[in-house]
Amino acid sequence: MSAVVAVEQQYDDPVQQREAATLGMWVFLATEILFFGVLFASYTICRVLHPIGFAIASRRTDMPLGTIETAVLLTSSSLIALAVRAIKLDNRRLATWLLTGTAALGVSFLVMHGFEYFHEYREHLIPGIDFMQSGPQAPAIELFFCLYYFITGFHSLHVFIGVSVILVLALRVARGSFGPQRHTTLELTALYWHLVDIVWIFVYPLIYLIGRSG
Amino acid sequence: MSRSRGPEHIVPVHRFLWVLAALLALLAISAGSALLKLGAWNPIINLAVSVTKTLLVMAVFMHETEARQLTRLVSALGFIWLSMLIGLALADFLTRSPLPPPW
Repeated sequence: MSAVVAVEQQYDDPVQQREAATLGMWVFLATEILFFGVLFASYTICRVLHPIGFAIASRRTDMPLGTIETAVLLTSSSLIALAVRAIKLDNRRLATWLLTGTAALGVSFLVMHGFEYFHEYREHLIPGIDFMQSGPQAPAIELFFCLYYFITGFHSLHVFIGVSVILVLALRVARGSFGPQRHTTLELTALYWHLVDIVWIFVYPLIYLIGRSG
Repeated sequence: MSRSRGPEHIVPVHRFLWVLAALLALLAISAGSALLKLGAWNPIINLAVSVTKTLLVMAVFMHETEARQLTRLVSALGFIWLSMLIGLALADFLTRSPLPPPW
């Protein structure tokens, strides 16, 4: 059974309908860029004001784990791109597996991040809950970790939402809800997942890589 | 308004795999360069690598190369607004100088 797309009356054809949906998704993604952008802007200003404190704080984060997390997200992005390609070629079985793989990588990202948070909790690096650092740079370190939790926390929330949606879509693909003519939902979810990946592409050097050479 | 009405373009698998390989190589470059003492070049290299990675993801994974001009324009807008936000905020903070009281 091949899923057939219904064209709403305001559109000429399925192609125009799909293009409008893609455009709308990009408008939403622009708001997402600005949502994280405010945090990145705060980070930039605080780092300009406290370069040494930020370098010291960044060295307290787990760079090997952060690097693995980045590789995991980049790989998951390629898997979901391949899933969209598979559904365009009507290979539903492959698409289901690729989506499940994407979600699994997303879950592994969240688990690794959980370990990071736990490690930081044990090191007394959670401002407002358990923060015990001394020295002249302690306020700057506290500021860094505040931004760290806001940025990575909201990012992890986005990963969690992405994983949930992708799992539902994997189920729907397996049931035959999508096909070569009907895959807009899948494509838009893939766009969202790629954007979550792009946010992390910038989080990685800003959080984990400063002050590593000194 | 002209729009292509042909069958959807299918990107060959090897292009996705090459992009993934390039992304992982770029990740290795940013991680490796961060361990070298390059001074001001450390953040510059890191930022350049991130921008390159983003362009790769957008061009191939997000199908921007096949998208309409309007879609491309809108997809660039978020980044343009963000660069204005950060650029103008920095223009303020980097040019602040202490004003001594006149008395």
